[in-house]
Amino acid sequence: MIYLDHGSTTPLAPEVAEAMARATAVAWGNPSSDHGSGLAAARVLEEARLRVATALRADPAEVVFTSGGTEANNLALKGRLLRGGRPGGRLVVSAIEHPSVMACAAWLEGLGVAVDRLPVDGEGLVDPDDLRRRLRPDTRLVSVGHGNHEIGTVQPLAELARVCAEAGVPFHTDACQSFTREPLPAPPDLPDLVSVNAHKIHGPKGAGALRVRRGLALEPLMHGGPQEGGLRPGTQNVPALAGFGVAVSLADPAEYQRQAALRDRLLERLLSIRGAHLHGSRTRRLCHHLSLRFDGVSGRALAAALDRAGVRVSRGSACSSGTTAPSPVLLALGIPPAEALGAVRITLGRGTTEAEVDQAGAIIDQAVATLRRTP
Amino acid sequence: MTDDLPVLDLRGVKCPANAARALLRLETMEAGERLAILLDPGEPTESVPAALTLEGHRVVATTDCKDHWRLVAEARG
Repeated sequence: MIYLDHGSTTPLAPEVAEAMARATAVAWGNPSSDHGSGLAAARVLEEARLRVATALRADPAEVVFTSGGTEANNLALKGRLLRGGRPGGRLVVSAIEHPSVMACAAWLEGLGVAVDRLPVDGEGLVDPDDLRRRLRPDTRLVSVGHGNHEIGTVQPLAELARVCAEAGVPFHTDACQSFTREPLPAPPDLPDLVSVNAHKIHGPKGAGALRVRRGLALEPLMHGGPQEGGLRPGTQNVPALAGFGVAVSLADPAEYQRQAALRDRLLERLLSIRGAHLHGSRTRRLCHHLSLRFDGVSGRALAAALDRAGVRVSRGSACSSGTTAPSPVLLALGIPPAEALGAVRITLGRGTTEAEVDQAGAIIDQAVATLRRTP
Repeated sequence: MTDDLPVLDLRGVKCPANAARALLRLETMEAGERLAILLDPGEPTESVPAALTLEGHRVVATTDCKDHWRLVAEARG
């Protein structure tokens, strides 16, 4: 089996599994308990926080642990727009955000928040000048993802952050796909709110974080104890977060360069197939990510044929792969609906080899040819 | 304070996370190196020094700065 769906999730790294087992055995205490067992758990938790904070270019006190990226995105958007218990003001989101951002925005819209959906160009890039023109005195938040989950395009985050800072508007980015793969801008251009998670980088499911700039007020989604600065009450999942910390520390720029070279090798092979089209930017894209379509071939049929042939890819975001409608992300790029249904997403990981990429390229070529012959 | 020690500001950090962060920082330091730690008044001024001492570090000074406390710890290395 050749697994090329690391954008949906990644296998747990052995080092992560070991750290989680160790934390389960020795750091089982409640990290809020003020005795030896609590301190043992708190040490593991705070070490993880330090590691995540370092990768986020943030202070450990700014890291709020969550159950994952979706919760971090919900906390960022609802936390800003429901501040003070009164929904209102304006939210700007790009038109190609993850469902956990888009669904939040739609829900807030139903409560009376004005939502401005920022268009993108044909490569999926947001125009900083367009963003500048859309900011108003009542804009409470701008949310633009760093590396897009479906098309892999990487946004000019520092430029967008500067536009927001000049207008005094807090800026959020969903960095779940890009975390550790693409560098975040250094402060002061680091977005005020940054969502990340563990399972896209060979860490466990159920672990994520939101960087909250010191002094930025948010409304919590849940109410309870003082954990995570009161923004995320409830006893933390120490083993999962220990795994998150180790996953972050395993991130290696040389490995990401290797993946980028394999991605380019596979892209070259796939673009040699007649009627192949790449989605997103050719140059400003995530190191592990390809999104393509092949004229006359349905993405659903191709993904299914590849699965039968032992190659695992997805049609788009795993969070929307059950739908039959064309991807809103691809429609936002100006791709016609019928063609958007042809998309497949291919995402590489730590275990992907050159031999696998070459084999996958040949299998995809063959599957496309077979499906084109099928009436 | 003007002793030029590195400072770890743990004001606003609850127990025992404050002690955990202090221990993690001291573990990165050479034996005899000193660290100034800022703490909220009250419970942290008792539990943090106790946790550091238990791990073999030395608390060499504790100062009441009115709205917070400043503790100087020496790493065991």
